[in-house]
Amino acid sequence: MTKTADRASGALFVVLGLALYFYVFPNNIETVDSGWVYPSTIPNAVAIVLIVCGAILTVKTTQQGLPPAREFGMALVFLALLSLGIWLVSVVGFLLAAPIIAPALMLAIGERRLLWLALGCFATPALIWFFVVQLLDRSLP
Amino acid sequence: MVDVATILAGFGDAFTLWNLMFVLFGVVVGQFVGAVPGIGPVMAMAIAIPFTFGLDTLPAIAFLVGVNKGGLVGGAVPAVLMNTPGTPDAAATALDGYPLARKGKPLKATKMALFSSITGDTFSDIVLITVSAPLAILALRMGPVEVFALMIFAFAVLSGLIGNSLFKGIIAAALGLLAASIGADPEHYTPRLIFGHYEVYDGLPLASVAIGMLAISEILRRLSQIRGRMRPAIVVVETDDPNDKRVTWAEYWGCRYTMLRGASIGTVLGALPGIGSTAAAFMSYAATKAGSKEPETFGKGNLHGIAAAESANSAVVGANLIPLLTLGIPGSVGAALIISAFMIHGVQPGPLLFQDQGRLIYGLFGAMVLANFMNLWVGQLGLRFWIKVVSAPESMIFASALLLCIVGVSMATGGLFGVAVMLMFAALGYLMTAFGYSVVIFIIAFFLGPRFEISLSQSLAITNGDLTKIANYPIALVLLGLAVASFIWFLSRSKVDEADT
Amino acid sequence: MKLGRKILSALAATTLFVAGAAVAQDWQPDGDIKLQIGFGAGGSTDVMGRVLAQTIEEQTGWNVIAENKTGGGGMAMFTVISKMPANNNIIGLGVNMPVMINLVKRPDEVPFNLDSFDYVGTLSRAQLALIARADAPFDNLAEMVAYSKANDGVAVGFGAAPQKLLMEVVNKQDDAGFRFVSTEGEAETQKLLLGGQILAGYSAGTHVPYLESGDFKMIAVGNNARHDYAPDTQTFVEQGYNAYVDPYWFLAMTAGTDPAAVKAIAAAVDAAVNSDAVAEIVANAASSTPLNLGSDGTKKMLVEGLDNVRVLFAD
Repeated sequence: MTKTADRASGALFVVLGLALYFYVFPNNIETVDSGWVYPSTIPNAVAIVLIVCGAILTVKTTQQGLPPAREFGMALVFLALLSLGIWLVSVVGFLLAAPIIAPALMLAIGERRLLWLALGCFATPALIWFFVVQLLDRSLP
Repeated sequence: MVDVATILAGFGDAFTLWNLMFVLFGVVVGQFVGAVPGIGPVMAMAIAIPFTFGLDTLPAIAFLVGVNKGGLVGGAVPAVLMNTPGTPDAAATALDGYPLARKGKPLKATKMALFSSITGDTFSDIVLITVSAPLAILALRMGPVEVFALMIFAFAVLSGLIGNSLFKGIIAAALGLLAASIGADPEHYTPRLIFGHYEVYDGLPLASVAIGMLAISEILRRLSQIRGRMRPAIVVVETDDPNDKRVTWAEYWGCRYTMLRGASIGTVLGALPGIGSTAAAFMSYAATKAGSKEPETFGKGNLHGIAAAESANSAVVGANLIPLLTLGIPGSVGAALIISAFMIHGVQPGPLLFQDQGRLIYGLFGAMVLANFMNLWVGQLGLRFWIKVVSAPESMIFASALLLCIVGVSMATGGLFGVAVMLMFAALGYLMTAFGYSVVIFIIAFFLGPRFEISLSQSLAITNGDLTKIANYPIALVLLGLAVASFIWFLSRSKVDEADT
Repeated sequence: MKLGRKILSALAATTLFVAGAAVAQDWQPDGDIKLQIGFGAGGSTDVMGRVLAQTIEEQTGWNVIAENKTGGGGMAMFTVISKMPANNNIIGLGVNMPVMINLVKRPDEVPFNLDSFDYVGTLSRAQLALIARADAPFDNLAEMVAYSKANDGVAVGFGAAPQKLLMEVVNKQDDAGFRFVSTEGEAETQKLLLGGQILAGYSAGTHVPYLESGDFKMIAVGNNARHDYAPDTQTFVEQGYNAYVDPYWFLAMTAGTDPAAVKAIAAAVDAAVNSDAVAEIVANAASSTPLNLGSDGTKKMLVEGLDNVRVLFAD
């Protein structure tokens, strides 16, 4: 287990470096005729460093542990919740979305006390609204 | 130069009750807004500028200086209390500040940050007020070749932050440079790696990357570990020892050399436009750790770590005004905002500023000194308030922090696109931390990357593509020599560390 | 604070009404007007845009909110504006050069063309100048070219693409061998000039105090006409190089906006551009004077500007 983490990430960076160098960069960086530093100079150097260091890492591993699978899963859940939340903001606006996002996040964290959930649902968005719209005179997303 | 009567009149202007009020108001607003995750000091100033439209010039500038300085102090609060720095320079403060706060001493940690921040700030203000003119001339001598050499030196010092694997450190730096190369390249202005998104033509939005990588990824990591009953986000351990809640004079005085070094690094880097407070904070931290007799205590709540980072990043802000006031050249985004405030109030920054507006400038200096005192005073009160806030249950604190980051980043970047970018970098930051790649090194490389590329291009243009001509630049040679020496020294130190453990 | 601003603008509106200078208003906006600024906070465009928004608000009583939409010198903002459904609320403020250069160089990649917008007017024209250290051994382009040929190339600082294009025209025509030093903007260009690392560079206004202080001198004017503050300095065209750059700050809305709204907003912008507040900020931030070409004039300027940019890119 301990060595697999570095082997896996090292190998990933080799693949990433190769993909960047041979596919992504040629298609997404313009070429120029003359100059001192070309648009592709630094990116190509980065790709080569990734390939070389990634390859070395697959051999010269460290004792890298990974978080348990449950934690990865939970992180993914929160990331998904946040993405959904931002999508919701883009559709109905922050003021309507926030009272849904906040308690949803709190429930996922494990909060079950109604009082706190209610505070998260109403107080937090209201405070942000007061702070941003009234005090700072900016519009909410 | 300016005569004494003008200087006294200027200081006199600053000390009127009316101006005092604006400085105080600015400091309060700055500390509050700067401490809110997702907003931070620069954003605080950008928001404050429209409010100064209707004011006279001196109160307007005094207010902004107050916001700027207050924001710096406030910026360290979320870094120390929650390990979620809103700005990358506060990330250095979090390295030791958060572990100390976790040990049940959040007041001690935040107070050390406050005191060293104000110490560094005052140091650079004194340098600004007394010797800004000669320092500005020195800064002019630092041309592209010298700045390029300085950046190599900075990278060498920062290698002291690379943990147990050199190669993983280099990969993290490479990824940071890769992120930095998104957007128009500095020499040909071609849209690079933007995939049709002109929003990132000027580069990835800094706030999105910094907050995503540093704050949101940390919140994700912490949330994923929560099981069972809700706890407060931070606990103040009640002990019989009152020193756990304050910084003693002996502790403060013990950090004097650390703060002096930090303030000097910050002042020098601040006087040179373009390198910035993030590099200064981390360089100071790395140098302090390397010079310490007990480097193994760093990252575990060492007061020197907090003092090193905060004294350096705060010193940068005062020093940023050196090129601004003497030459009209802003050294940072914050300084650029002050220039625009000058322009809005009909003052043209530039070489004649001291001559034409001497009284105003000394009024500004007076306001800066005042702001430092008020920062100390307001900070003492404010810290207690923030610790109370952060003592709420984790569920409440993290949910609110996430909402605030969404609002703050969307304000800073002008829309939800920046928020989406923030989420992507949050995922990246989470994965990098999980697999043992340093997020901090990524961020430093990301922030120094654009300057590094343009400095390389400038140096090649000036030496006509022949880098051996560097032999004609003595300052650059010295810096490169120092870079090699410190790189070797840091590597040997880290070998010693490994042997110890 | 919001309340304070409301009271202020109400007061200002009353004063104007009394003065009888209020714009005739058949059309009223439905909600807030958003003035989107295509540059970051703190720059000259941002500062001018914010004062413009404030002035329109004071003169009309509309609620005008300024917000920054940074990216590619206005490209990001205009991309979004071109794609959104026609509305009567969102005005973009940007600079013509980045837009025109991208339209000429990357027509397939830019998701809009000049017909994607309804034009409101212009705010001002930037005064682009080629400047040099006062002790530089040349006073005009011909002498600069000669000096460059004799001395292994003069290092010239530039902070934006059009400035480089203009210099490349000289390079091509006379094989001058200029070495281009890319900078982050005119502030850095001036730092390098003062430090002596480069001998010449471009500036769009902030160099004027340095002319007074005797640090810099002007070599050539990048615009199509000479500058008021330096009537003796000739343009590139006058010095024998058939190229110029006329950067305008212009305002545009999504194509298909209600013509009555465009007309009312254009009138409001025109009144604001001609106010003292805007004149002062344009002088301070860009060392220039307000200049509104009007709706039709703005479109004409952009169409003709495209032809000029093609000249700059011609081989």
